[in-house]
This record gives sequence, C-alpha cells and structure tokens, in this order.
Amino acid sequence: MNALMRRFRPEQIRELVLVVLIIMVIIFFATQIENYLSPRFFNRISTSVAIIAVVAVGQTLVVLTRNIDLSVGSIVGFTAYFVGQQLADNNEIAPLAVVLMAIGVGAAMGAFNGVLVAYGRVPAIIVTLGTLALFRTMLVEYSDAQTVITSSLPAWIIDLPRANIFSIDKLDFRLLVGIMVAVVIIFQLMLSYLPYGRRLYAIGSNPDAAKVAGFPSQRIVFFAFVLCGALSGLAGFMFLARFGNITVVAGLGIELKSVAAAVVGGANINGGAGTIIGTLLGAILIDVIDNSLIRWAEISQFWREALLGLMILLAVAADFVIMNRLRDLWARSELQMTQQDVEETQTQEEPGHVA
Amino acid sequence: MDKKPVLEMKNISKRFDMTQALDNVSLTLYPGEIHALVGENGAGKSTLIKTMTGIYRPDTGNILLDGQPVHIHNSQQAQSHGVAAIYQEPLVFPDLNVAENIFISHRDRGAVVSWKKMYKDAESILEKLDVKLDVKMPARGLTLAAQQAVEIAKAISLDVRVLIMDEPTASLSAHEVAQLFKVANTLREQGVAVLFISHRLEEVFKISDRISVFRDGRHISTNITGDVTHDSLIRDMVGREVGDYFAKSQAEKGEVLVSARGLGKEGVFSDINFDVRRGEVLGFAGLVGSRRTDVGLALFGIEPADAGEIIFEGEPLTMKSPEQALKCGISYLTEDRRQFGLTMPMSITSNISLPTLKRYLSGLGLVKHSREKATAEDYRKRLTIRTPSVNHEVGKLSGGNQQKVMLGKWLNAEPKLFIFDEPTRGIDVGAKAEVHHIINELAEQGLAIILISSDLPEALAMSDRILVMREGKQMGIFNREEATQEIVMTAAMGQSHLTEEISQ
Amino acid sequence: MSHDKNFLSVVWDKLKSWEGFLLLVLILIIIGNTSLAPNYLSIGNQMNLFILSIEKIIVALIMAFIIINAEIDLSVSSMMGLSACTLAWLYSQGAPIPVALLAGLLIGVLGGAFNAFWIAKVGLPSLVVTLAMLIGFRGFARVLLEDKSIGDFPVWFDTLGQQPLVGPFPLALLLFFLFVIAAILLLEYSGFGRYVYVIGNSREVAEYSGVKVNRVKTILFIASGTVAALAGLLFAARLGAVRGDLALGFELDIITMVLLGGVSIFGGSGSIYGVLLSIMIVLNLRNGMSLANITGHVQTGVIGMLLILSVLVPNMTQTVRAYLDRRRLAEASSKNNEQLSVNN
Repeated sequence: MNALMRRFRPEQIRELVLVVLIIMVIIFFATQIENYLSPRFFNRISTSVAIIAVVAVGQTLVVLTRNIDLSVGSIVGFTAYFVGQQLADNNEIAPLAVVLMAIGVGAAMGAFNGVLVAYGRVPAIIVTLGTLALFRTMLVEYSDAQTVITSSLPAWIIDLPRANIFSIDKLDFRLLVGIMVAVVIIFQLMLSYLPYGRRLYAIGSNPDAAKVAGFPSQRIVFFAFVLCGALSGLAGFMFLARFGNITVVAGLGIELKSVAAAVVGGANINGGAGTIIGTLLGAILIDVIDNSLIRWAEISQFWREALLGLMILLAVAADFVIMNRLRDLWARSELQMTQQDVEETQTQEEPGHVA
Repeated sequence: MDKKPVLEMKNISKRFDMTQALDNVSLTLYPGEIHALVGENGAGKSTLIKTMTGIYRPDTGNILLDGQPVHIHNSQQAQSHGVAAIYQEPLVFPDLNVAENIFISHRDRGAVVSWKKMYKDAESILEKLDVKLDVKMPARGLTLAAQQAVEIAKAISLDVRVLIMDEPTASLSAHEVAQLFKVANTLREQGVAVLFISHRLEEVFKISDRISVFRDGRHISTNITGDVTHDSLIRDMVGREVGDYFAKSQAEKGEVLVSARGLGKEGVFSDINFDVRRGEVLGFAGLVGSRRTDVGLALFGIEPADAGEIIFEGEPLTMKSPEQALKCGISYLTEDRRQFGLTMPMSITSNISLPTLKRYLSGLGLVKHSREKATAEDYRKRLTIRTPSVNHEVGKLSGGNQQKVMLGKWLNAEPKLFIFDEPTRGIDVGAKAEVHHIINELAEQGLAIILISSDLPEALAMSDRILVMREGKQMGIFNREEATQEIVMTAAMGQSHLTEEISQ
Repeated sequence: MSHDKNFLSVVWDKLKSWEGFLLLVLILIIIGNTSLAPNYLSIGNQMNLFILSIEKIIVALIMAFIIINAEIDLSVSSMMGLSACTLAWLYSQGAPIPVALLAGLLIGVLGGAFNAFWIAKVGLPSLVVTLAMLIGFRGFARVLLEDKSIGDFPVWFDTLGQQPLVGPFPLALLLFFLFVIAAILLLEYSGFGRYVYVIGNSREVAEYSGVKVNRVKTILFIASGTVAALAGLLFAARLGAVRGDLALGFELDIITMVLLGGVSIFGGSGSIYGVLLSIMIVLNLRNGMSLANITGHVQTGVIGMLLILSVLVPNMTQTVRAYLDRRRLAEASSKNNEQLSVNN
C-alpha cells in the first residue's frame, strides 16, 4: 500500500479508479445489452462524449478558480442556433469562419459572465444562474421560435459528424472526436505548462497567497470564464454539426452534465485541484452510463438524471472524505521519510523542542 | 560597520485607532549582518515588518534603500526591491508542489513551464539550505517547518537583499533550528541583511550580530550582541511601571472551583496543571505561540482537550462544547472581538442576550424585547457603555465600548468561572481601568477568574498567582509576592533552569 | 470634491434604505401596468397575481431564511416536482388523495433531511449538495412519472387549488397570509430567527456563544424541503395535472425574489418585509410584461437580469464609495509626503 502511495499522486490514483470504473461499467452493460460492444455504439457514444467533454474542459477551468458556470448549456444552445442560422442564410460561409464565429460568440458570452464575477464581485452561482436564463432568452428571441433544419444547411456540415480521421476495422475515429482530443490535449498542456494555467490552480488553492504573490486574480478569473465560453461556443458548433436540427431547447441540461464531468473527474469544487484528463474520464463515465441506460431494458431510462445527481454528490463527498484522508496519508508517509533522515542526523541537542 | 546600509527605516510612525503602534522608530540594516529584533507582544515588531513589506503604509517617516527613498505599496514591490519576509505561518499554495511554490511568483522563467529545470533549480536551492524535501510533493500536509523552508527557498530564489524572519523558529525542532541558522549564516556570508525576530533569547544571542529592542512602539536600544547580557536585554524589554493599575483588592478566597490535571491537546499544549479558587484571579502569562489561548478554548469546550481532566466543582468532566461550558457556568471573553466575539452589524441588545437568549423567550419561542432591552439597559448603566441607545449597531461603537458590550454579554450568563482573554487589548486607558475595576469586583463577588494577558504589568497587578507558559508547556506558577516582570519574562523566554529554582 | 461626496452620500443613503428603493420601483411598475390595462389595480386582478404564484412565494419565504443563514438551496424546484410526482404516481397506483398528499409531504421532509445531512453533518458546501439534488430530485420525479402526464384528480382536489375556500379566498391566499405571518414572527421576532441572523453574520461568533449551529442549519434545510414539497402539491392542485417537469427552473424566480428583496447573498442581513416587496415587484413585473404581450421566455430573461442586478448594484455602489475614500486618503497622504520631503 505504502509503495503504491509513493508511486502515484492522489490525482493519478483517482484517474486510475475512473478508468477501472469505466471498464467495469462497460463490462456490466456488455453482459446486459445485446450488441453492446458494437462499432455503431462506440461511434455514437464517442460523438456524444465529444460535445460534453469540450464543455466540461471549459467548466474545469472555471471550477479550478473556485467558481462555477451554469450558463454553458445556454451558450451551447445559442451558438448552435446562431451559427446554424447564419449558415442557413448563406451556405457559402467558409467552414473555418463558421467555427471561429461560434468560438467568438461563445467567448463574448463568457466575457459577460467573467466581467460580472471578476470585476463586479457577484458570486458566480448568481451570475450564471441569471445568464442561464438570459442567454436562453436571447436564443428564443433571436430564433423567433423557429427551428434550424438540416435541409437548409450546406452539405459539408451535415456530413461532418460522419467524417472520419481514420478507422480501425469498423471503429471510426471521427472528426468531432478529433476536435475533442485536440481540445483535451491543448488544455491539459496549458494547465501543465503555461504560467497562466498554473495560476488558475494557485488562485483556487489559496486566494490570499495569490494576492500576496501579486497575481492579477481578477484578470485570471475573467479569462477562465472567457475560455469556458469559447469552448462552449465550439461545442455549440459541434452540436449543430451532430444534430442539424436546432430548436430553442438545444443544449438544455449540458451545464449540469459538465459540472458532473468535472467533479466526477476529480476537480475540487473548492478550487485548486483537477486535471483535464480527469474531466475527460468523468465525461466518458457519465455519458457511457447515460447512453447505456437508454438501451438497458431492465430499468427505466428515466433513472439517468437521478443517477447523475447522486454521482455528483458521491464524487464531492468522496473527494471531501477520501481524498483528504488519502492526501494526508500520502503526506505523512512522506514526512516519516524526512523525519527518519532528521533522526539519523540529529545530534545530541537539547531535547526540549517539539516539532 | 564600514559598509553602507542597505535598508534604513527613518522616523517611522503608525497609529491604529487608539494605539500608537510605532512611535518615531528608526532602524538600519547593513548588508551581511544578522540583526535581531526583540520585544514583548505589542512592542511594534510586526507593524514594522508590515511597513517594510508594503502591507501597511507608515503615517510619517521614510524608507531608504541604498540611501534612496522608496515607496513600497505592496509585497511585489517589496520583492522587486529585494525585501522579502517569511512568517511563522507560511503562505503556501497547498495544491501546488514544493518546486512550484518556490517559483510561482517568478516572471522570468519563460513562456512555458519547464518542469525538469524547475525541479532541478528547486533541488539545488533546497540543497543549499540543507533541507531534504521531495520537490514534487504538494505543499498540503507539509509540516510548518517544511513550509517555512519552502518560503525561505522562494525568498532566496528571488535574489533577496533583506530577508525578514518573523518568529521563524517558533514551530521548529532543534535540528530544524540548527539548519535554519546554517542557512541564515550562509545568507550573511553572501551579503544579505537578515532581520531576525524571535522570543527565544538564547537563539538571539547565538545567531545575531546586533540586537535592537522595541517597547510599546518605541525603539529602546540597538547594541552589538557581545555588549549586552540576558539581564540588560530583559530590562530593556519590560521596564514599564506597575503603578498605573488599581490596587488589587484582596478578595476572600473560597474553595477550589476548577482544576486542570495533566490537561493536554496533541501538538498544541501538554501537561497543564492548576487550581483556581472562588475569588481568585489566576493570570496566564507567556509570549506569542505560548498556547495560553488554546488552554482557555479547551476549558470553554471550543477546542476540547484530548488528555488529562478538568475538575469542575469537584466533578471530573470532559468539556465537549461551549453549550456545556455555559451550562456549567463558564464564560469566555475572546481576544478577537471581530471574529469570535460580537456580531458587529447587530444591536447591543441582541449581542448581550445571545448566550442566554432562552431566558428571554416566551412560551411560543418569541423574544420578549422589553425584558431583553431592560437587561441591556442595565449593563449599559453598570458598565457605562457610551452609546446613543441599546439598539445601536455594535460595529459603530468604539473599541472600548465594544469590549464592554462583550463583557456584559458574558456577565449576563452569570458565570462561576470567567476566562478573560486579553481583555484590554486595543482599548483606551480609561476603558482599561474600568475593565480592571470590573475584574476586581467580580473576584470580590466570589467568581473564579482566569486572566490571559500579554500585558505583563497588567497580569502582575491583577493576579493572585501567575501561570507562565512557553510553547505549550507550563513553566511554573508564581505567587503574587515572588513574581516580578524579570522573573516572569525569563520563564516565558525559556530559561527553564532559573524557573525551577524560583518555583521551588 | 465635496460636491461629489455630497451627491454620492445622498445616493448612498437612498440605497441604504433598499426597501424604500424597492417601493419606488414597485410603484413605477404598477403605474406602468395600469397604463397598459386600466383595471389593473382591481382587487380581483391583484388577488389573482398571488394565487397564480403562491408556490413560488412560500418557497421564497423559506429561501430567505436559508440565504440569511449564509447557505443556499438550489434543489427547491426539483423538490416541488418530486412531491407532485409522488402524489400523482401514488394516486395513479390507487392510493387515496390524502395518503398521497401525506406521502408527498414526507418526501419533502426526507429530501430536506438528506440535504441537511450532507451540509450540517458532513460539512459539504450547500451550493454543491443542493446543485446535485437539483438534478437528483428531478431525476426521481422523472423516474416516477417517466414521460406521462397524470391528471383526473378528484374534483375536490382540483377545487382546492382553484376555487374559493373560505369566503372569497381560495386556499392559496389563506396559505399566503399564514406563511407571511409565520415568516415575520419567526425571522423578526423569535429566538430561532435571531440565531439565523447571528449564524449568517458569523458562524464563529454563534459557536463561541453556545448556539447549536448545526441544529439550526438542519432545521432550515428540512423546513425548506417540506415547504417546497407543499408548494409542489399546491401547484399540482392548481394545474390539475402533473408531469415530470413541473416547476422546472423555478429556482430562478425564487432566488431573485429573495436577493432583490435586499437579502445579502453573503448572509446575515435582509428582512421579510423587503422580500415581500420584491415578491410584489416580480409578480407585477411578470404580469405587466404579459399585458404588454412579452413572451414567457423573455420574461425569464428579464428576471435573470434582475437577479444579477440585485447583487451587482449594491456591490458597485460600495466599490465606487471605497474608490473615492481611497482617493481622498491618497491625496491626503501625498500632501503629507510632500511636506516631509520639503522638510528634508
């Protein structure tokens, strides 16, 4: 046990546990559902995970700073519709311009959240509960309750979800999944290697120390929301590509799934801890359960939401209770090591001091 | 000293409300010296440090760096001038690892974090300090000593010229202290000016080149370490007259009300033994980090003790919660009015009635406002609380009047044992005298009183006996007749051999 | 400079009496609405406002307690859905309505206790626990009814929600008065209310004064679950049919009513009177927007904006004031320094 503790960090253990859980869930459903391990199902889930995961990456950035963004679902919905409408009006817009437009619109919405949270000092939960409604209203107003329909879109975007990067036998590795992988890699690298990424952790970990160290905390939090909005915008584009038909309820509920993915993936709701890889695993676990329940005959698919809620609670409770204990244990084993060194080198000095 | 000073503090004054924290203080630091700064609690040492690191701005006076006046408005500016401080309780990022904690404020390490290089640099810095730490380990769960090492490493990595160490040894083991001294000596050789603040005189003598003494916000003396003795130092530190206090009235001593037997809490304090009789005032003296308040909190059930027992009115009991302590008849007047004592935005009345609110409830659970108000009026008169009305917000009163509201709140609980924690800190002279008067009166009424005070003359004047603590240990209990400022201070500073002689 | 200070201090004094400001807003809205519909102020119309929103109102009252206590309960609207679905499901399984009603209430007590356990006993932040249960309770509601809609309740049950019960007053209005009086007595006059304020101001001070903080929090969350369940049942009776998405998104209006009413999101301050005023504002505003043919979705957006503004506006006035104070201080101290350097 101790050897294991020393070999892995708590985050890594958590990620390992998630991988094991995902495999167990898949094995379980494979015994329950016919044709479960088919390429078709893999392709379906991988596309579905792609959208959730991209939003969840943005959510993770925000959660790292001790904030939360409940408006991401509405951002996804609005950008999907907005971009879809532009494309329907003018089929000639270049694909890259479309993607940039989606990211830009999302970033603008994120900036609105960010200004209010970072500079207006309104708690994130209040701001994003408000903009959850506000952005949805913008969607309804803008759409005039009309629907973007697949037939009005240019062919390239309709074909996009089936576009493959490569295939292994019948397992397709699709472009949308490719986007997700790129996002995960880019943002994991950002969090690991860019000073900005490290400061996201620092701010969430100890805001007072961040202040003393002189970090521009407000700007850092602001940009976390902007990035979260931009990623939600990108997810909005992916949503449009995947579904084609966009109604006013597009993206509803994604906010809760993204929070769930981040938290289940090990992001600490009190900030300072979490990884993008963990979030990806969280998104996979949640979405695999979600999609499998739809096909599982034994219990009603309506259990999906209830399970999602319980999973968030369990993840947070586990984080609170188990991870704290694990970290302490890990720290203590480390300490014993140094203590031994100390005792070995300690000369016969006055024994009165207590560490 | 033939060198030019690196940092000069000239005629610095700083006032907070009622207290003159620094009164025209000057201090000069030379490169390559270890300069010790000593003084009682409240002598103005922390305020001086905070003006040096930009947390406070002096009301008057100048800070000169290499002879040039500088304005330091925040800790980054201090850092860019090469002034850094490490504290007893270090400010680390618990989720970041050791190496990152050392380098996170660096802005010149490139656009991309090079972990390998960072680990190597961190290791080489820690090696210089002779500290063995896994640089990849998160700071969460490091001991205070290790966190401090991280902070020192951070300061060194920033090419520090003036390093302030505020009570750095308070939580270190002997070995760690020796290591720290080695580091300090290394820094001295490299030409860094180290300002070393400590309550342990033996350490001060061992490490410093010069020693400055502060008292009551004033600079008393600066001498070469070889020229001073323990005794002259302690004389400089205390030196206040006891005469300003009420003559202590000799209250009738009754039977023992509360006793502690081997009371302890892991990692906080241990083996505390005392008896307090009805009508007796037992003083608790000690310096910062002596853990007196923690003993008080254990008696009041907020941070229960985990060893030994409390005997209250002859019954051994474990004090588990403040509710239980209140029921037994214990009141605890906290030292931190803002955080633990009073709800500032609420009225005087509702603050006074809070611990005893049940007495003011009707059968339906509604508050009987008239009775509550009558009680508040009663205390307003008795304690001469100066306020337009008892419905006034507590936050808008002066410190002294707030203190009296807090007194009223706890007197109204009708305690048998009253624990006062720094009852006169930060209040004006008049209010101080009134508080002393009340303590005397309560003793005469037969209450047992524990008086935790950092104001040594106050503790000496008010107490029948004085228990001296140092770093969680009981150094002895002195009778009123034998306790002088020098003896108590010597015990609090850890000259334990001397203590034993006297207490026997 | 003294000019701006005077102007600002006047604005500040006005804002300090937030209730005064709310009253002004309310009057403006009512004037606006009356110009849209001349008989707007008729008793019938005003009574209708309350009857049509009674569910939100009673939950807003208990939410005021929770936010003053420096916590939040995001799960209330899902609990409304869950209790209504419990009622409908049991009824569809053949249980008599009174039994089903009791079961619905019991679910509220249990759900509240579940939240309270994690918040008061384990020590998790209420924000996360109730966010999880916002999904969780709603999920259970959907498990019960799936995508069915259950109606056809006995006539007396439907009438309970819609027809006058005593004199001209339907049950909803009677309950409104009952709850308002109870909330005012509890929060402003009872010992329990005192504890709620003290804990919201400073948990430490309360603990150091021997207040049983966790017990107060437990009671509040159980009460919140129970009241939300009751609100769900009332809503079911008024609608005459229950679906899984009953009361979806109501937390927005409810929290807006509380925060706009001057309750601080950081806890410790606010009053039921302010919350009553803001309830009136939200109700009249929504009604006025309906009169002006503004759709429900846009109304929700307006409420969302109102929620943000109700925290942002007091924050901004504070920031502006602090900035001016700092500038005054800086000017004073720079003068000081100039004098010093002259002396040198």
